[in-house]
Amino acid sequence: MSEQSNKQPNRILVIGGGFSGLTTAVDAAETGAEVIVIEKNPYLGGRVAQLNKYFPKLCPPICGLELNFKRLKNSPLISVYTMAEVENVSGGPGDYTVAVKLAPRFVNDNCVACNACSEACPAERPNEYNLGMDTTKAAYLPFNQAFPQKYVIDSAHCKADCGKACQNACKYEAIDLNMKQESVTFKVSSIVVATGWNPYDAKKIDTLSYGSVKNVITNMMMERLASPSGPTGGKIVRPSDGKPVENIVFVQCAGSRDENHLPFCSYICCLASLKQTTYIREQNPESKAHIFYIDIRTPGRYEKFYWKVKDDPNVSFTKGKVAKIVQAEGSDDVIVEAEDMQTGKKVKVRADMVVLATGMQPAGAAQKINGVNYTEEGFALSNQGVIAAGCGRNPMDVARSGQDATSAVLKAIKTGLGR
Amino acid sequence: MEQIIKPDLNFVNDIIASGGESLKKCYQCSTCTVVCNVTPDEKPFPRKEMLYAQWGMKDKLIGNPDVWLCHQCSDCTAYCPRGAKPGEVLGAIRKMTISEYSPTPFAKMAGDPKYLLVLFAIPVLLFLSYIVPKGYLDFSQIPRGEDGGIVYAKFMPVFPQIDVTFGLAALFALACFVVGIKKYWSAMSAQLDGSGAGAQLKGNLIGSVTATIIEILTHKRFQKCNVTKDRSTAHLLVFYAFAGLAITTTWAIIYLYGNEFLGITAFSLFHFGESPYPLYDPMKILGNASALTLLIGITLVTLNRMKNAEKAGKGSYYDWLFISVIFVIVATGILSEVLRLADIAVLAYPVYFIHLVFIFFLFAYAPFSKMAHMVYRAAAMVFARHSDREV
Amino acid sequence: MSLRELAVWSQEPKSDEAQLAAEDYIKMGVIKAQKGDIPEPYVMETDKTILVIGGGIAGMTAALQSAQSGYQVVLVEKEDRLGGFVNKLYKKVPAAAGEYKKPLIVDTDIDKTIKEVEGNPNIKVFKSAKVEKTEGQPGQFDVTIASNGNSEVVKIGSIILAAGWRPYDANKLEHLGYGKSKDVVTNIEFEDLARNGIIKRPSDGKDATRVAFIQCAGQRDPNHLSYCSAMCCTTSLKQAQYVRQNPDATAMILYKDIRTPGNLEYYYKAAQNDPGVMLTKGDVTAVTQSGNGSLFVEMENSLLGEKVKVEADLVVLATGVVPATVDDPILNLKYRQGPGLPDLELFDGFADSNFICFQYETRRTGVYAAGCIRQPMSMSDAQEDATGAALKAIQAAEHVAKGVAVHPRAWDVTWPDPFMQRCTSCKRCTEECPFGAIDEDEKGTPFYKPGRCRRCATCMGACPERIVSFKDYHVDMIGSMMKNVSVPDDEDKPRIIVLACENDAYPAIDTAALKHAKIDPAVRIIQLRCLGSTNLVWIADAFSRGIDGMLLLGCKFGENYQCHFAKGSELADYRLGKVQETLDRLQLEAERVGLIQVAIDEYNNIPAIIQKFVERVKEIGPNPFKGF
Ligand SMILES: Cc1cc2nc3c(=O)[nH]c(=O)nc-3n(C[C@H](O)[C@H](O)[C@H](O)COP(=O)(O)OP(=O)(O)OC[C@H]3O[C@@H](n4cnc5c(N)ncnc54)[C@H](O)[C@@H]3O)c2cc1C
Ligand code: SF4
Ligand code: SF4
Ligand code: SF4
Ligand code: SF4
Repeated sequence: MSEQSNKQPNRILVIGGGFSGLTTAVDAAETGAEVIVIEKNPYLGGRVAQLNKYFPKLCPPICGLELNFKRLKNSPLISVYTMAEVENVSGGPGDYTVAVKLAPRFVNDNCVACNACSEACPAERPNEYNLGMDTTKAAYLPFNQAFPQKYVIDSAHCKADCGKACQNACKYEAIDLNMKQESVTFKVSSIVVATGWNPYDAKKIDTLSYGSVKNVITNMMMERLASPSGPTGGKIVRPSDGKPVENIVFVQCAGSRDENHLPFCSYICCLASLKQTTYIREQNPESKAHIFYIDIRTPGRYEKFYWKVKDDPNVSFTKGKVAKIVQAEGSDDVIVEAEDMQTGKKVKVRADMVVLATGMQPAGAAQKINGVNYTEEGFALSNQGVIAAGCGRNPMDVARSGQDATSAVLKAIKTGLGR
Repeated sequence: MEQIIKPDLNFVNDIIASGGESLKKCYQCSTCTVVCNVTPDEKPFPRKEMLYAQWGMKDKLIGNPDVWLCHQCSDCTAYCPRGAKPGEVLGAIRKMTISEYSPTPFAKMAGDPKYLLVLFAIPVLLFLSYIVPKGYLDFSQIPRGEDGGIVYAKFMPVFPQIDVTFGLAALFALACFVVGIKKYWSAMSAQLDGSGAGAQLKGNLIGSVTATIIEILTHKRFQKCNVTKDRSTAHLLVFYAFAGLAITTTWAIIYLYGNEFLGITAFSLFHFGESPYPLYDPMKILGNASALTLLIGITLVTLNRMKNAEKAGKGSYYDWLFISVIFVIVATGILSEVLRLADIAVLAYPVYFIHLVFIFFLFAYAPFSKMAHMVYRAAAMVFARHSDREV
Repeated sequence: MSLRELAVWSQEPKSDEAQLAAEDYIKMGVIKAQKGDIPEPYVMETDKTILVIGGGIAGMTAALQSAQSGYQVVLVEKEDRLGGFVNKLYKKVPAAAGEYKKPLIVDTDIDKTIKEVEGNPNIKVFKSAKVEKTEGQPGQFDVTIASNGNSEVVKIGSIILAAGWRPYDANKLEHLGYGKSKDVVTNIEFEDLARNGIIKRPSDGKDATRVAFIQCAGQRDPNHLSYCSAMCCTTSLKQAQYVRQNPDATAMILYKDIRTPGNLEYYYKAAQNDPGVMLTKGDVTAVTQSGNGSLFVEMENSLLGEKVKVEADLVVLATGVVPATVDDPILNLKYRQGPGLPDLELFDGFADSNFICFQYETRRTGVYAAGCIRQPMSMSDAQEDATGAALKAIQAAEHVAKGVAVHPRAWDVTWPDPFMQRCTSCKRCTEECPFGAIDEDEKGTPFYKPGRCRRCATCMGACPERIVSFKDYHVDMIGSMMKNVSVPDDEDKPRIIVLACENDAYPAIDTAALKHAKIDPAVRIIQLRCLGSTNLVWIADAFSRGIDGMLLLGCKFGENYQCHFAKGSELADYRLGKVQETLDRLQLEAERVGLIQVAIDEYNNIPAIIQKFVERVKEIGPNPFKGF
């Protein structure tokens, strides 16, 4: 910062190490502030680390993440705490005290990611990174390009009688099964809440039969299915029998824009479905995709992406929300029902697989941080020293999350300046 | 054919005032149409009705059989993502249809709590005018039966007081219905091809009527409801109770006039004694059984409505008035019989009086109240079939 | 060099080949260390004043935010009053984090913001002013501001471009009746009509009780604007509230899709819940006279019917946003590469970023765009955007002052240091620098402006004289590394150099190695800062040393390029087009050199891609220079 403002260092605590949190951290550090990142997961990147491609460029999310990781590694001003959660925020603008709980990783910095522990480990755990579609060992690396590139031991799934198989297998003394939970406190001048979102629980939408009809999946599962690091190595096959998907239906506003579920629009799911049609169309030139929607929302220059998909004769669109999904009799196929409003007829479409375009529920809906204010729906609210950014504040795409984070940095820095 | 749209703000306001206050929340997603098990696949409702309602397109709604094909299962209301309560909006439109086609000012009054007292004042004054001159306000002046018991016929003679009054009321109601349904039928025909010129009906009328009757008797459509499943049973009970009471009344009339006045004794074969008939008289048994069924049915209706209020909506004044009237009729009917047998004059006569007032209310105002739904719905169902609308 | 990935995990364990690879990589590592120097930042005299162009809501926000953070700001506004388009608004959409409560329209309070800007001692405002020219570089911009006939040069550190937008020219929308009937107005004109409470129609002054809003009037239409203006749906919902100030009036909104993304859905919900607000989907085809003084809006495929006409007293066209950069470069950069921001065609004239992850990155260092000039957006979004742009401008000014690069190598303190005595003024570097960092002096000799430089080293790759170097990265360094790679004598064992971009291709290889995928032992992989830094001399050198083939792995190019330096990979490809000549001279086959575009997530394919290339080279046979 400029001369007159250089008196005391600006210290910013960032809660959440997703795209918004990462952007906040690097932008703040590159402006001279000290930054502490608190991330709940054992890795940084948040939800975008689970995405296969970004609309509209169809470029891999890890590309931008990688650059941000590099900046982070190059900055002495940033300290990162993974598997960390904020317990309490107290104080006021310019002078906050933040209590943080650090869960044990059981793996220290000696880890070279050689995979020996995982090979030795006899226990398995559901892989939430792949939305439970496969498993990992209890000693695991969250995903290939995870940052930090260190293994984790999920003690909740350890086998008591394994005789410390992982610890014995590690040649680098990187495993310490006696690690304990720790508590630390930080004194900071401002806080950026970038806690992001969770996929809305599709089971709650009873008309859409997620969990009860086979081959009804969510859009996040689709991202993992299409990803080279996903459970199928990127092959889009349906879960029930592994059949390559030729005929797919997308159900828009699955839970979003709905008072009974999420009353707001999730901003990205129209674009996500358009994007996902390209996944399937690219894999199989014969495949057909069908999108049922209320309004197609591709604001701004995203419109051209919509046109691009619409120009594909194998992708069709129907205005009308799907409100009934059943299993086709004697088959693993799925039948969706909607009204085609343009023709005023109820239509039934049979598909190999159905993707529910479920929305983004702010993290604050499931978990509120002591000392941070929220709306009824769980969106974090900003005040002078606590600044909310990204999807935890308002549903938005990655581009806007980054922009929002950058703007949050200036507000946080201003708080630190005492202005 | 190009259609000119002229939105009618007044009509929108009317729907809102009639219990459809949520209609403007609809954002046209069609969830309602899909979750509705009653709607046909072609041109399904209620989404399109919601749009017409939002734009105040009166002709499209008031001359539309679909609003009556809706049984207000409220599946739509429960699942509507905007809380637009299409079930209630259609209910409001049905009420407006009834008042639109009823030829008298009573229509307006029936839906508006302001006029409730006026509506009741008519039968009250009418019946008072029979008994006050006779000094019957003092109950001891009322003659007793031969065995010394209470005989309501002595309090309010069957002829001419009761029968003429109710006969006229029924005639009035019938006339209103005939006029209303005629208007409604032609409005529906006019809307059929959107031209307003009236269209050729293709189906076969007799067949349509028969099918409709079977449908009504079985309540098949009603049973498809989801959120408010139990409603069809309750409604069926009320419906059959009414049918039972109608038969009882006809029976009584035939017996009374056939046997007592015309002396056709053949009718007395099924009867045991004179009015008040003993409790084992078959007519009496049917009457009492129907009354009991009605009591159970209407209680269930009320309970269901309360149970589903959150999902399906609270219901309008119009609905609740109808339910209350029936409730009072059954309650007072049963009570007057009990009080008569118990010989508690101070209570028996007033209760019977109230009973009569409410029955009058039900009959005379039938074409304007919720009661009319029976007739309009039946007409709409016949029309829908007759016009080849898949139902 | 990461031995673990390159020599251990990706090779057969304990093989001779793994051993040899390890030795090579160690050697290369040593050379890299020896040839690198301790970097020293390029420090110059700088100014940190921030120039904001445009005094609308975005510009004023950027100015205030920067000023409040302690920076001097110069604000240039074209009109004689600050406030921009907000001045034309009657009311605005209120702020809300969830459900909206009445009133649904509130005062803009723009005067308060204007006063705050004009009263801030750190902000110098030029009104009725334009940027005549911008010379120099970040930290040292000389910006000539012309206002009221005077020109003044101010010293500027970094620039925020917030020159906003204009509405699409409604005269082009004749089919919607504009220009033919006075009662067809744009949404901007409607703001003015609403100012007096009850809305009258312009033709005869009668109360306009039936107002039809036509959404996407020009937007989302290949004949007009190919994008969506993002805010006109919300605007029409707001303007419907203006109509409803008259309780007898109806507002009819005719849309293709209602677009109120995110929490704006709450506004849609609140605004539509009004008896007199009516919406329907349909395609508006024409606006015609009804014959009785009012208008018909003709629609097809509407939810109200196949073909319908809606009768209205007044028709409002929800016209869209056209960025100011479509008409004028505004910045008037005196750069050899042109006066404005590049990429105009791809972005429909918006001064936008091609990077999803880095929204503020333009290809002119130290220049950041904010508000509707960058993307169509609402007022409140523009304020957030401007705050972010202010941070970026502050960052740039600070980094240049310290001699540190900005995005993407925001930690880098090296800089391109050309040995000018040997420069032949061939201008390859000036032409190729993706960021316009190299101007030419009067004699046509390249002239480096380190403040504009992003340290991509494209110039280093472009220079045929090999005179551009960085302290820790230069042609000789990479060349020497290559020269020291072992070349097996065995004819069956080719040696192939893979030059991999360190941002995407190399991490992909890294991931493949992490997954213990085996990479053909014939290759030696060298990381480059960007493929754009590939100097053709390396190819000549390598082949004369007996290397059998050379594979370049870089980012995707084309419209949706992924190169962090915009064009590096594409430029390498362009240069390879010229390598034929060199190879011909050496009598070598052109197929020995290849460039393949890979993305960072193609780690599963990388071993096969390399394998295939190795096969190709094997087929051609060994390099005849082998053993010389
Ligand atoms: C199917 C789908 C596809 C999508 N595709 C695209 C796309 O192609 N392009 C695009 O632009 N957008 C896309 N999006 C949207 C994109 O995912 C979001 O914009 C993005 O994730 C927002 O980043 P964020 O940092 O705000 O939130 P997140 O990614 O959710 O990050 C929040 C982080 O905070 C952490 N956290 C949460 N609570 C706490 C706590 N209490 N303490 C500590 N840490 C905490 C979380 O673990 C997480 O790491 C898609 C969304 C979906 C559903
Ligand atoms: S983005 Fe599309 S699918 Fe998602 S909530 Fe909004 S309208 Fe529905
Ligand atoms: S009434 Fe509700 S469910 Fe039906 S179309 Fe409207 S918003 Fe959708
Ligand atoms: S915001 Fe609405 S009116 Fe504007 S261009 Fe987009 S869809 Fe059309
Ligand atoms: S080519 Fe790259 S390194 Fe060279 S001057 Fe331009 S930006 Fe700087």
